[in-house]
Amino acid sequence: MKNPYLPTPMRIERVVVETEDKNIKTFSLSFLHKEDEANFKYVPGQFAELSVLGKGEAPFGMASSPTQTGRLEFTVNKMGLVTTELHSMEPGETIGIRGPLGNGYPVEALEGKDIVVIGGGFGFSTLRALTNFMLDKRNRSRFGDITVIYGARNPGLLLYKEELPEWAKRDDLQLYVTVDRGDEDWKGKVGVVPVIAKEAAPRADNAYALVCGPPIMIKFTLPVVQELGFSPERVLLSLEMRMKCGLGKCGRCNIGNKYVCRDGPVFTLAQLNHLPAEY
Amino acid sequence: MPDLSAKIREVVQKMLREQEVELVIGFEQGSMPLHSTPCFIRNEEDAQRLVWNSFCDNNLAKYLVKRPEKVAIVAKGCDTRAIVELIKEKQVPRDQVVIIGIPCQGMVDRRRIEAELELNEILEYEEQDNKLTLKGDGFTKTVNRDEYLYPCCQACPHKNPTTYDILIGDMVAEQAPDQYPDIAEFEAKPPEERWQYISGEVNKCIRCYACRNACPLCYCKECFVDKTHPQWIGKTTDTNDTFIFHLMRAFHLAGRCVECGACERACPMEVDIRKLNRKLAADVKELFGYEAGTSLDQIAPLATFRPDDPEEFMLGV
Amino acid sequence: MKAKVIKKDDIAGFLDSLLKEYEVFAPVKRDRLVVFDRIHSGKEAFLNYTTSITSPKEILLPQSETLFTYSSTDSAADVEVPSGEERPRLIFGIHPCDVKSLIFLDRIFNEEEYKDAYYLGRRHAMVVVSMGCIKPRATCFCTSVGGGPFSTEGSDLLLIDIGDEYIVQVISDKGEKLLGKAHLEDAGEDRLSLMKRVTQDAEASMAPKLNIDGLKEKLDKMFDDPIWDLLAEKCISCGVCTYLCPTCYCFDIVDETRNSGGERLRLWDSCQFPLFTLQASGENPRPTTKERYRQRIMHKFSYLIDNCGQIGCVGCGRCVTECPVNLDIRQVLTAISNR
Repeated sequence: MKNPYLPTPMRIERVVVETEDKNIKTFSLSFLHKEDEANFKYVPGQFAELSVLGKGEAPFGMASSPTQTGRLEFTVNKMGLVTTELHSMEPGETIGIRGPLGNGYPVEALEGKDIVVIGGGFGFSTLRALTNFMLDKRNRSRFGDITVIYGARNPGLLLYKEELPEWAKRDDLQLYVTVDRGDEDWKGKVGVVPVIAKEAAPRADNAYALVCGPPIMIKFTLPVVQELGFSPERVLLSLEMRMKCGLGKCGRCNIGNKYVCRDGPVFTLAQLNHLPAEY
Repeated sequence: MPDLSAKIREVVQKMLREQEVELVIGFEQGSMPLHSTPCFIRNEEDAQRLVWNSFCDNNLAKYLVKRPEKVAIVAKGCDTRAIVELIKEKQVPRDQVVIIGIPCQGMVDRRRIEAELELNEILEYEEQDNKLTLKGDGFTKTVNRDEYLYPCCQACPHKNPTTYDILIGDMVAEQAPDQYPDIAEFEAKPPEERWQYISGEVNKCIRCYACRNACPLCYCKECFVDKTHPQWIGKTTDTNDTFIFHLMRAFHLAGRCVECGACERACPMEVDIRKLNRKLAADVKELFGYEAGTSLDQIAPLATFRPDDPEEFMLGV
Repeated sequence: MKAKVIKKDDIAGFLDSLLKEYEVFAPVKRDRLVVFDRIHSGKEAFLNYTTSITSPKEILLPQSETLFTYSSTDSAADVEVPSGEERPRLIFGIHPCDVKSLIFLDRIFNEEEYKDAYYLGRRHAMVVVSMGCIKPRATCFCTSVGGGPFSTEGSDLLLIDIGDEYIVQVISDKGEKLLGKAHLEDAGEDRLSLMKRVTQDAEASMAPKLNIDGLKEKLDKMFDDPIWDLLAEKCISCGVCTYLCPTCYCFDIVDETRNSGGERLRLWDSCQFPLFTLQASGENPRPTTKERYRQRIMHKFSYLIDNCGQIGCVGCGRCVTECPVNLDIRQVLTAISNR
């Protein structure tokens, strides 16, 4: 059995600065060895531990859809030791990866349903992966109506700025992009995500709501989603915890009898309601 | 050791009844003989649990930092010294703490007694004046309390509270000021011997940080050992990293350590932690004429600068 | 069960013969304390002890473990895993409570889905020669958590002190093989009766069992109970309980530099440390000792039962005797049971 602590080498192919304050970058990585790519089968919602030798590891959700071959994308917020080092790295340099880890979004259960994606700020990265996965022409017909509600604090902090207009053009996707506060160039919606979600009022019958974002956004979005008629089994959340091993062993991400890295990070609201409020 | 338990309970009950404080921190009987344990008293009835004996060794000042309510605390000489430093460092407002000072005749080193009795487990004990009677399965042994004090208590120059609001018990005779003879003796040894001893002690350390956590003056929100940028020391039990941990902690405590011995008592591996602290305390006394915790007015020397501070490390001065 | 007898005077010689084939770990005296360490000669073993200060878990899970080394931080492709064990290991003189902790650790590190190469490298051919407790301490509570002073669970041989000799109970084939060259005498009727008396006396001397039936069910409903504010009030989050506990295994992973390269290490960590769950954003789901102490109890006495079917406690009493503030887990469990 492969030693799950050994990182697999990857090369940084491209770095995109996502936000105006330059604190968030998206890294596009390729595997150094072809067979590693073939072995890395994942579903949206799963994550990987990126390894920067000498600094350590940190967990990041996969920001690209598995339908996009040859590249793995990760959106990295500069916060601590590993992410600061990562931010200083250039295309051509190598880092390590361990994964895929976690449970990912329950893609089979989502098939045949309407999907409502509600994301805020930096937590949008795995939802973007899921959206692109569903929009891929090989998959689109398997899902019903797709509504995406995505917001950031201000226009400069919006991620995937090149992709959002492409999504807006599509007729098989209903997209709402909003900011908490606009600026003089911003022509789009202004309002916090929960308020925009309420306005958009996506239908809840035969639908799933997938919510991801900062705790404050989740706190105010959950009542909206419940009011719209989504039952707790149909609301999916992706949790963030301090993680190290990513394998459900080191104990850090333990909540109740679950490990966020192994039994999550995706949980239904029904499951979370049974877990102690320690996240 | 006088039995002050009844007096302490009386004083505390009155304080709570008159709502002078919301919480009293003291000692109650532990779950094993030769142990007492910190207790948090909020009503008159619970005050009956308070005790005072030869095993009230914890430094309760540990529990004073970041308390929202007004607190009374049972404090021995060394504990009051810690409280004085905490007050000066603005971690405890003076008017938020009522110090119940108790002149202390030293606490008994239970590990030493237990080691001497080897496999004979002590199941009961009694204390009467200077005698401790220890009973177990098929044995009884009586010892003199005085012969089994903790090393820090044997040398203690401040058995009486240095500051207090209420005093329970009579003041006791203080010993001569500490001249640190053990440090002078150690320093006289050749370097190889000193390093052999220190590295031997350091190699016992399992980096559990109990010493740091038991110390009332270690209250940093983020300790230097946990910092990642920059990372100051490695986290393994490597001799060098571990030595630097103990050395740095001792330096951070220079002029602040009150030698209560909480660190040594907390250490499961019986590392001689106080040696470095004592060396620095001796140096601070010599260089700055300062002893931690003895005065609410004197600023700790490493927290201030005086133009006439000794500068013997400067060449050509 | 087959029972042999060995003279105490012959133990050192027996160990010397075992040293030819195994890496032997036994209790040794270090100043006033007893720790488990590798021995190189039979006479180093110190068997007349009740509890070692640190548990034998460090034989399987060292305080720091190199996961891999790298010669330069530039290439993630260039990592080297330390080579595995060469000679099988033997633990000698370990008490039944600590043996039970090995069985517990197996459930964590040797699962269907997760086989820890580092742990298994040390555990796979391990032989366990345990020693019964003829003088359990007042702080021992193994019988309250499914163990016992003469439990044979997990052992290959069990020694029982009957004076100048030990009875050697042969538990497994591995144990039988171990005795192969020692040519020990069978324990006769007299010795076996003596053993029976000794074990009965020892069992009778143990403190009454804690009443913790139904504890898990109680705990599962008590997460928000205000009792946690009181139970953990005196805790100083020092982590001694977790470091000495034979079943605590939570770890940290860090990179440490050595010259131009370095190593990635797995280190002991503790859920009692504030940093354990501190997120980079500054959020901490367990900000005070209350949440962290609750986690310790809930993890050991509820969550682990769900996850691996065994309580995360063997009743060794180390956390009881070594806690600097005498926060006694037995009192905590009783308070919860009585709630």
